[in-house]
Amino acid sequence: MFRFAFGLAALLLAFTAGGASAQTMSYAEAGALIAKSCGPSIERFCAKDNLGTGEVRNCLMSHQDQVPQQCFDDYAAARASIAKRIAAQSDAYSVCSASAREFCAGIQPGDANLLTCLQTASKVVRPACKQTLTDAGWWN
Amino acid sequence: MTRITRLVGGIALAAVLAAPLAAQAQTSDSDSQIMQGLSQATMFDPSLTAQVLRQMAQDAVAKNLPLTLDKSEIAKRLDKLAQITVQIQFALGSDIIRPESYRTLGSIADAMHHPILMNYKFIVVGNTDTTGTRAFNLKLSQQRAEAIVQALVTVFGVSPDRLEAVGLGQEALQVPSKPEDPINRRVQIFTIGTVGPMPKPMPTNAP
Repeated sequence: MFRFAFGLAALLLAFTAGGASAQTMSYAEAGALIAKSCGPSIERFCAKDNLGTGEVRNCLMSHQDQVPQQCFDDYAAARASIAKRIAAQSDAYSVCSASAREFCAGIQPGDANLLTCLQTASKVVRPACKQTLTDAGWWN
Repeated sequence: MTRITRLVGGIALAAVLAAPLAAQAQTSDSDSQIMQGLSQATMFDPSLTAQVLRQMAQDAVAKNLPLTLDKSEIAKRLDKLAQITVQIQFALGSDIIRPESYRTLGSIADAMHHPILMNYKFIVVGNTDTTGTRAFNLKLSQQRAEAIVQALVTVFGVSPDRLEAVGLGQEALQVPSKPEDPINRRVQIFTIGTVGPMPKPMPTNAP
């Protein structure tokens, strides 16, 4: 429980650092957080493992006693935030379809046309849509 | 051969006005530069596929084509595409991406996940300078490009259908007059086309 609360605190910190009201970190912020908290351990213990293979995480776990707890907390927070953002981005079209039909009829989707239209109608767009776009990192 | 011209939103237009294609040498450091570079209004070249690029590089290495002071044929064709150049730090002589570059990977993912670029496909190109053998450079740059693609897919959730990795070794030098200059070691990302047809216009609620 304590670990969870700690990760949450790190997450909140990242939001405020980002300056925006997004409920998720940008992918860049997530990558930077992993690098900041785990980079030294990765360079020291996992210099032969690539991030994309999943082996970096396994390697860090196998050196658990020498890797700072902060690394595990922040890595988990970054992964959770990435997962939340990916989910919001893939849900956005369906969650916002009602608002889009209402306010953006005839708009050609693609090239962010729908997003631009919804932002123009921001005062009347449904809260669920607005929240999903915020979590997707697209609202601001 | 069809050539598609597509204007990608207002950001793209601004990017074109601010940075003509010829001035693409500098590294894209900021998130907005990445977005601008990848969404530039440009012509796609459907004949320039990942497979064709790999073949051109392999042929150049196999025939040991002389390096000229001009940009190579490969580099000239790539110059015409919407693109960014980024620096990704790898461990010496290996395809291991160093942690200091995780943020850059995330920035690339941020751009690719944005609605402006959501429907587009990309080629990730690895380049080396001329230090080391030509064949080794070709192989290493392919592995490095693949490592980037793998991280974008598995860590940052970019669909693998949208990405291809190509290593060009030393065959598309940034500065052919200084072949050993580290400036030539770089990763380029090119916007090469759309994933599928653009969606249909939004229907109305009216019956």
